[in-house]
Amino acid sequence: MPATAVPHSKTLAADRFRSFAPVLVLVALVVLVGVLRPSFFNPESLLVTVADTATLFILAAGTTFVVILGSIDLSIQAICSLASVVVALLLPRYGYFGCLAALAAGLLAGITSGILHVWLRIPSFIVTLATSGLVVAAALLLSQERSIVIDEHGRLLLSCITDRSLGVPNVIWIAAAVAVVGAWTQRYTPFGRYSIAIGAGEAATWASGVRVNRHKVIAFACSGVLAALAGVLLAARQSSGSPTLANELLLPAIAAVIVGGTAITGGAGGIGRTVVGALIITIVRVGMTFIGINIFAQQIVFGLVLIAAVALTIDRTKIVIVK
Amino acid sequence: MAEPLLQVQNVSKAFAGVQALDDVSIEVQPGEVVGLVGENGAGKSTLMRILAGVYRPDRGILLLSGTRIVLNSPREANLHGIGIVFQEQSLLPNLSVAENIYLGQEAAFTRSGIIRWPALHAAARRQLEKVRVNLDPRTRTVRLSFAERQMVELAKALALEERTDRPLVILLDEPTSVLEQREIDILFDRVRGLRNRASFVFVSHRLDEVLSVSDRVYVMKDGRVVAGMPAAQTSVPELHQLMVGRELHAQYYRESRQQPPGEPIVLATEGLSAGRAYRNVTLQVREGEVLGIAGVVGSGREELTRTLFGFLPHTAGTLTVRGKRVRLTSPDQAAALGIGYLPRERRLEGLVMPLPIVPNMTLASLQSVLRAGAIQIRKERTLAEEWVRRLRVRTPGVDVLCMNLSGGNQQKVVLAKWMNARSKLLILDHPTRGLDVGAKEEVYDLVRTLSEQGLAIVLTADTLEETIGLSHSVLVMRDGEITARFDAPRGAKPAQVDLIRHMV
Amino acid sequence: MASSNPTSLPERLKPFAPLFALVILSVLIGLRNPRFFEVNNFIRVANAASIPLVLALGATSVILLGSVDLSVEGVVALGAVVVAVLVRNDQNHNAFGWWGPLAAVAVGALIGFLNGLVHVGLRIPSFMVTLGSWFIGVGLATLVLGGTSVRVLDPAIRSLALTRFWNCPLAVWVALSALIVAWFIERFTTLGRHTFAVGGGEDLALLSGIAVRQTKLAVFTLAGAFYGVGGVLAAAQLGQGNATIGDGRLFSTITSVVVGGTALTGGAGGTLNTLVGVLIIAVIGNGMILLGISPDVQSAVQGLIIIVAVACSTDRQRLRFAK
Repeated sequence: MPATAVPHSKTLAADRFRSFAPVLVLVALVVLVGVLRPSFFNPESLLVTVADTATLFILAAGTTFVVILGSIDLSIQAICSLASVVVALLLPRYGYFGCLAALAAGLLAGITSGILHVWLRIPSFIVTLATSGLVVAAALLLSQERSIVIDEHGRLLLSCITDRSLGVPNVIWIAAAVAVVGAWTQRYTPFGRYSIAIGAGEAATWASGVRVNRHKVIAFACSGVLAALAGVLLAARQSSGSPTLANELLLPAIAAVIVGGTAITGGAGGIGRTVVGALIITIVRVGMTFIGINIFAQQIVFGLVLIAAVALTIDRTKIVIVK
Repeated sequence: MAEPLLQVQNVSKAFAGVQALDDVSIEVQPGEVVGLVGENGAGKSTLMRILAGVYRPDRGILLLSGTRIVLNSPREANLHGIGIVFQEQSLLPNLSVAENIYLGQEAAFTRSGIIRWPALHAAARRQLEKVRVNLDPRTRTVRLSFAERQMVELAKALALEERTDRPLVILLDEPTSVLEQREIDILFDRVRGLRNRASFVFVSHRLDEVLSVSDRVYVMKDGRVVAGMPAAQTSVPELHQLMVGRELHAQYYRESRQQPPGEPIVLATEGLSAGRAYRNVTLQVREGEVLGIAGVVGSGREELTRTLFGFLPHTAGTLTVRGKRVRLTSPDQAAALGIGYLPRERRLEGLVMPLPIVPNMTLASLQSVLRAGAIQIRKERTLAEEWVRRLRVRTPGVDVLCMNLSGGNQQKVVLAKWMNARSKLLILDHPTRGLDVGAKEEVYDLVRTLSEQGLAIVLTADTLEETIGLSHSVLVMRDGEITARFDAPRGAKPAQVDLIRHMV
Repeated sequence: MASSNPTSLPERLKPFAPLFALVILSVLIGLRNPRFFEVNNFIRVANAASIPLVLALGATSVILLGSVDLSVEGVVALGAVVVAVLVRNDQNHNAFGWWGPLAAVAVGALIGFLNGLVHVGLRIPSFMVTLGSWFIGVGLATLVLGGTSVRVLDPAIRSLALTRFWNCPLAVWVALSALIVAWFIERFTTLGRHTFAVGGGEDLALLSGIAVRQTKLAVFTLAGAFYGVGGVLAAAQLGQGNATIGDGRLFSTITSVVVGGTALTGGAGGTLNTLVGVLIIAVIGNGMILLGISPDVQSAVQGLIIIVAVACSTDRQRLRFAK
């Protein structure tokens, strides 16, 4: 095969940067926090940190499916809260069916967003904002605007989430399973492949005979289910469900996706990168607490991190006009 | 002869290695209408864009009244008195006519930051009077017909008079392609009436129009000006001969490899129609046959090809693909029937440019590398390497992003995509657009190979020469209907002039 | 010359659809509960609409560009907190009087300006930038107050909500003034007209020599200033400033703008549309109270309305892909 010189690819370099920079940042942050507080490195402390990341990661993993398309899902925190309410309400009487019902609610919300998005061709951020409205209303009505405490019996049922296996908290096992299945899905299934293609060039993907709409709906469904799963874990860990339980999680979740190196314009990235992104966000949070930054003020940092991450990872060659 | 108003001297321009303009020189006298003709890809639009300040030439200079000028932006061109009426309409539909005419020039009508609407409207009315259009300048542009918008664009170009002391040069880039005959007559009437105010450069496909309105005509071919003469001293057939130029040397289109088509009919339509785009199209394509469709812009052939791949569902008649009567409402249905599509917009619809070669090759046929629902990464890679070898795609490897391939190699990847999907019918929509000669010949070779393998092909090409050279049979379309059918067997190709007669 | 495109009657009436919707809604609610038509109820609606109107006017100008501004809640919270801590209050000894509101508006304008600067300068999609500044705004507001609430004791500020002029609270008059200012800018200034040009076709606007970047910068700044005014009114109405004072306002703001008929694609609609949109949302809220419907459902109703409104205003023939 005659090998002619191909012009140096800027995109390839940007891709490399996207894959390696987050890992370097993570390592640097871990070292920094470890130096500030050596006790951070004891295994128990590390396990707790990772366990604290699990919910955020699962939330972000779902969003990753959507961001890869070049779309966005702003309804995840509402779905997450709703799921916690559903679990807290149903667990005492229906046991594990409560968990299934919560996941089903998330699935339904995700599919609704997806179908409205592709069918009416409404921008995803608006559709998911609207779905948010519906989901919030459902959560408020179901919970009667209260926080619902999970009783002894319920906590016993949820111990499968809060317990440890092999010395590692079960939430970490669950998150790891999500990471492996998610990453496998993106790499080895047609759905994963088409998602990347849609994000990188929707018109060409469509003109290759790919059922673009179907795969978009699947992506939103994944986002909904994983948001609900995150809600179930959150309810288990906090022993309660509330319509505002996940209110502070939307921004860190999206930030985790972007910081991990999935491009907001779509077409590049994956759940593996979101693992790194979520860990970065958690370490930043831990670090801020060490330094003594007001827990409320941490949103400021996440906001800045988000903007900086987008600015660094965005592929400007792909968009001529930025709106 | 007086000093020319505008001179283009030895201008060249290349895009990604393809020479769009090669040492082009033309001149425009004051008050003159200059026609510019040539086939698609001859370089007319590039030349117009250079004059309008959108592109800068690689070599060569522009002179205005004998003084050298450099145009860095359309705004600078405007300040030199050069305005353009674009092929694609450039008015903002959500603004009023008056706002569009003076877009970016509102400062002249504001007092302490407040727009004086009466003054702006009065000025706009003056401009509209120049083109003798009776329109309320407050009308929102979206309400106007195409013809009216064209007139507003003309008025906008004429409004340059107020910003510069220089005589105007107005570029008309295919202004007639969407107009009805009556509207064209009015436009030409206005252009003739405006010659005391401005010179015009007029680009069109329709040779008779060019002759009727121009004083002088330049003929372009393959990025060069091949002739220039007064309109009165030439004729449509002569212009056409010049445009097409070179004697066909049969081997260019691999004519010797053209085999007679097979028996089985792959595609058949009967009275196919789609709204106002085309009507009553009946055709058949057999295995191994290349069917060329000829026609000018607006003839309906573009829409017809879009119908065959599910972009534009037909509204009447029947469409039969491999014995199955279908109505295609989306590309996935077409692909499922074994139809492949090589789009004109290669960068947009052909390939997912930011992705490597491998996923692009299998995008239309991922099931060919699936086992138990999972993609076999290694098998997929081997497959892609196989296609790269078979089609001689020039690339260092299959992980190269498609955006980094040359146009010809990109086209090969698109073809490989459909060959891998085992398409039985290929729609080739301007397959050689933007390719250099060598790449074109490789595509011609591939087309022959595909025919030999029994694929049916529907072809719309940039040039008539290519259409005739590659096809077994040619349909000619005009105004949405088939006006003629020609057989084009090996060694007995129809003449281009015969087709032209049915095109215009 | 050929005549203009014949526009059918429905086509001509389409711009007035939101107005018809408003009238029909009012009549329906009035039929169920005649108290809707009492003058005092109208004043109640006007009062309820005043803050949303000010916010929606700001958002309208951004949406006309074809961009979007999600920072409403952050700026409102920050504006309310700034005004609350600068005027006479129960936490410190400040008593800057009218400098307080002025500072709040200035802070709003500054955040808007920074939004615009990052958006235009770094070429990051506006929704991403403003998502970040939303949380930065809320974080700053929290930081200033340390998570508490501060009561406004300055009678002048309180009078915005309490003093009536012609039977209407001053806040209503402030909102009306804002409407007139916004309408004037839109109709009679180059900035206003260029906003439409950018929204109608940014590439063409650029070709015509319009200073697109400056236009965007000015519009985002102006929007921030409007949110600042909204923050002042919110502080006056609730008699306090806190970081959650903006909660839920983004959703109702965007809903109002879109329901009024301003297209998310930019370039179509305007301030008068937004007035109608805000009134629709206010009338629905008022009607729900009059008809005894749980306020929990409010967000669901808005979610449905926004989907219907965007779906109606999207030209699906032209727009093949939505992201």
